[in-house]
Amino acid sequence: MASVLRTEKLCKSFSNGGVQQHVIKNLDLAIEKSDFTIIMGASGSGKSTLLYALSGMDKPTMGKVFFGDTEIQGYSNDELAVFRRGNCGFVFQSVYLLENQTVLDNVLTGAFIVQKNSTEAVSKAKELLKKVGLAEDMWNKYPNQLSGGEAQRVGIVRAVINEPKILFADEPTGSLNSASGKEVLDIFTKVHENGQSIVMVTHDLKTALRGTRVIYLRDGNVVGEHKMSKYGTDDDAKRRSDLTAFLEQMGW
Amino acid sequence: MQTKNIFRLALFNLRKNRREAVGIAILTLITAFLLSTFAANITGISEAFDKSFDESGCKDSAIVIQKNYRDEHLAALNEFDGIKDVTAAKPLLLVSGMVIDSDGNGKSSYSLWFLTETENREFEDFVKGHSLSEDEIAALEHPVWLPEYFEITAKFAPGDTFTILNGGKQYPFTIAGFYNAGLFSDTGMGFTCIISEDDKLSLAPVLEEYNALIFNRDAENNFSWQEYNKVCRERTGESFLAWSVTRVSVKNNVLQFLNIFLYISGALSLVTLAASLFMIRHKISKDIEDQMQQIGVLEALGYTSREISLSYVYEYVITGGIGALAGGIAAVLFTPVMNFMTISMMSRTVHNKTNFAAIIIVTVLTVLAVILFALAKAGMIKQFPPVIAFRRGIKTHHFGKIFFPLEKLKWSIDLRLALKGIFTDMRSNIGVGLCIMLAGTAMLFSSYMFDFFKNGSDNLGKMMGCEIADTKIELMDGADADKMREELLAMPEVRKVLPTADWLLQLKVKGSELPDPRAVVYDFSETENIFLTDGRFPQYDNEVTISLRRHNEDNVNIGDSIIVQGDCKETSYIVTGIVSNLAFNQTSLYFTPEGFLRTNPTASLRVLDVYLNDGYTREDFDKKLTALYGANVEDTMAQSGEGSSLEERIRRKADEKMAVLISQYGVTDADYAIRIGDTLIKGNSSKFVIKKLSSMLDMAKTECDGIAAVTKIFSLCSMIFIAAVVAVILGIITSSNIKRQRKELGIMKSMGYSSKNLMTQTALRIMPVTFISVVIAAVISVIINKYFWIELFGGQVPQNYALTVFAGIAIVIFTYIVTYIGASDIRKVSVTELMTE
Repeated sequence: MASVLRTEKLCKSFSNGGVQQHVIKNLDLAIEKSDFTIIMGASGSGKSTLLYALSGMDKPTMGKVFFGDTEIQGYSNDELAVFRRGNCGFVFQSVYLLENQTVLDNVLTGAFIVQKNSTEAVSKAKELLKKVGLAEDMWNKYPNQLSGGEAQRVGIVRAVINEPKILFADEPTGSLNSASGKEVLDIFTKVHENGQSIVMVTHDLKTALRGTRVIYLRDGNVVGEHKMSKYGTDDDAKRRSDLTAFLEQMGW
Repeated sequence: MQTKNIFRLALFNLRKNRREAVGIAILTLITAFLLSTFAANITGISEAFDKSFDESGCKDSAIVIQKNYRDEHLAALNEFDGIKDVTAAKPLLLVSGMVIDSDGNGKSSYSLWFLTETENREFEDFVKGHSLSEDEIAALEHPVWLPEYFEITAKFAPGDTFTILNGGKQYPFTIAGFYNAGLFSDTGMGFTCIISEDDKLSLAPVLEEYNALIFNRDAENNFSWQEYNKVCRERTGESFLAWSVTRVSVKNNVLQFLNIFLYISGALSLVTLAASLFMIRHKISKDIEDQMQQIGVLEALGYTSREISLSYVYEYVITGGIGALAGGIAAVLFTPVMNFMTISMMSRTVHNKTNFAAIIIVTVLTVLAVILFALAKAGMIKQFPPVIAFRRGIKTHHFGKIFFPLEKLKWSIDLRLALKGIFTDMRSNIGVGLCIMLAGTAMLFSSYMFDFFKNGSDNLGKMMGCEIADTKIELMDGADADKMREELLAMPEVRKVLPTADWLLQLKVKGSELPDPRAVVYDFSETENIFLTDGRFPQYDNEVTISLRRHNEDNVNIGDSIIVQGDCKETSYIVTGIVSNLAFNQTSLYFTPEGFLRTNPTASLRVLDVYLNDGYTREDFDKKLTALYGANVEDTMAQSGEGSSLEERIRRKADEKMAVLISQYGVTDADYAIRIGDTLIKGNSSKFVIKKLSSMLDMAKTECDGIAAVTKIFSLCSMIFIAAVVAVILGIITSSNIKRQRKELGIMKSMGYSSKNLMTQTALRIMPVTFISVVIAAVISVIINKYFWIELFGGQVPQNYALTVFAGIAIVIFTYIVTYIGASDIRKVSVTELMTE
């Protein structure tokens, strides 16, 4: 299977009071097309740092990041922004909707930076909003009028509206209650079923179960990897026990 | 203790918003500096002039009589109430005489009065300034003492040669020194040159002698020039050509431009004051909005809303105080520069002391204004007890109406998002709009001033309300003006010839208290330097066009009638139009040739204004005229009696005598016959065709070029200064907005919006309000420009609407660029900041 994203000797350090803190160390990793990759690890293991370095949100200190055949680690900030438009979608834990824009405008703000055909983009946005269960009466609401789950659904639609090559998600259910969390994960599963590559950071077992591959990070390195069948295609209990066993083995 | 805590909070806020604090301090500094300079000098320069005039010991008024002086004039003056210390003098006058410049290269035109020291001491103290030593002066052959103008403005030095050109001859003097001249020390009234008795005697045949009555008036005296004129005419039975000058008129003339600059500085300081106050208001309300949760915490800890408000006020006491103090110090340090400017523009040595009281008062008032404004705004904290403060801290964006939904907009996404952003902070936008409107008005007005003076005094000349031809030819009474005009028109150098009357002819308007008008007589379809502000030029002999000053001050309108008193004759005219008229006391009257003759039947159009084609100079053309028509009367007066043979020398001497009779005594025809042994030498005055050649152009240039240069620089500096203020304001606001929108900007970046996209959106967001503000500023600036010239000069400048549009667009583009650059902090916003949330 072709890698949609891979890294070579990826390093990321931060300077903290003059002391260098190496968060990611010589990390080699490949993300396959249509994979649902889950990144797990203890707090401070470098999960989010890796996610942001992979997605071109942040520049690595050393090493290479290949998006397809394109090396992106040398890009300027603006070049990275342009690169992200067509290639990456993001879903954040805190949702980060634009507070002064309506639901529809939040999605369209993401769409119009890439899509030149306004009519098509508007139709697509409305269609996707409907698909995630946000009916027309919600489209003109502002973020503060939405529940956490509704807001995150808008965040997902905004992230996928441009059909990115990879959808990145940083603990998307972290701030949601379990019911809302499940709804959001179902959407991720649906999106993945449609062939979308997803890289998600989580420390929640239920969330990790939605993936097809779990990599475990410790001290900035991948220390273990666990592959799974697609969610809903196999015995759910077996998937859970296998993953639990893997995580226990990793010291989770 | 509590005060200490509040002070600590203020310092914390200052450290957090260093750039904004510096910006506010700079704006306050500029405000205090400009206001202090204005306040310290607006009365100071007036007092400095008075002091300088008092030191000269000069009497405060003078009447200069050109023709028909009689002893009755002196007697009549002495009989007027409140008139005292009347002194008579007989100065020689060289009107628009050329003087070789101090660098020896160019020439400048001045009106010069010549007097001896004894005569001068009759009406002023002859207070000497820089000069050669007594021994050096004693050794000079032709010493001259000049008014300080020639040292300060014309850059001559003691010992320099002061060469006057007249009638093709050079009259070199050596400058003995400079002195403080009272009444006659400006380009308008001319300059008194103090020369030796011998030199005055030698100049007497070539220059016209005037009679000057110089006197003092009681403080409450309301001497009426009209009344005096009337009395003199009754007593002598004839009119006389004269004009008056007073200390007040000289002062107004000298201080006119200095005052304009000061008032413009004052206006600019108000712009910066408004900008500073707006900045403070903007910053406090944003700070309170952003720090609402923090305010809630402080209130929960037991701080009263008054104490928290005071922490904001202290912040501005510190920034405003530092700025105002620095501005006050700058104003004190600027005093020598201001003195230099005052001396340069007054062309007098003045000692303008630093007005510490005014500077301190302005500095304190500036700080007080800042504190009061900060107090008023910070008082809004009272509205938020802790619970409300906490709740307000949770940002709630809820709009009843959705502005510019993206799905309905068809432009680029940057423009769409920018438009949506306009309504997110309407009050701030209105404030920015007001700042841009004020600054834009000042910038546009400065651009008009710069444009007006960009080609030196050319445009000022267009407001003169008189024709400024290359050469003015005054013909002899017997000369055929029509024939002469045809001959001139046939010359390749000549573009146009306009017949007119003697420009020194003075008239009176019945019932008017304005200074006596000059008659301007032309076929106005041919004139090119006289511009109407309303109505039309006269076409018939019962019509007249008046000056803007007369229209405003005498309240005479188009369609009204005025009665003009000419040479013992009164005639009524209908006013057909109003002219922009800066010259001749701004009171000229404009007649058709036929109309003028109704009032002055004995006058004739013996003056020809000659306009040359490009590439021809006045000097060369005058030489050609002399070669073709012989020397003119004035030149002949100045010629020496030397020649190769006795007959030539006698003829030249005879011509010289005739020229003096014609020029100074009004003789129209003269014949002579001289017998030497068997030889009879005969001649007559018919050989003279041209009485005098002169040029208004040179005079106008000497008078106006300096003013034009200073004004041009001043207006350019004003534009740069205001642009800098606008840049500071926009830079601070943009930077502060970015600081507050870091999260939103991070989100946008995560979606793939580049820094350039976001900077473009930020700059575009301010464009609608900028555009509206600039349009309003354009309208206001056009109105100000119109009334500025009317009020100050009685003239009207044709509005350059193309410039208004161009400058307006330039301001919009400038605002865009400044905001775009000011938004460059967006580059520092990293998407990774979202990770820390």
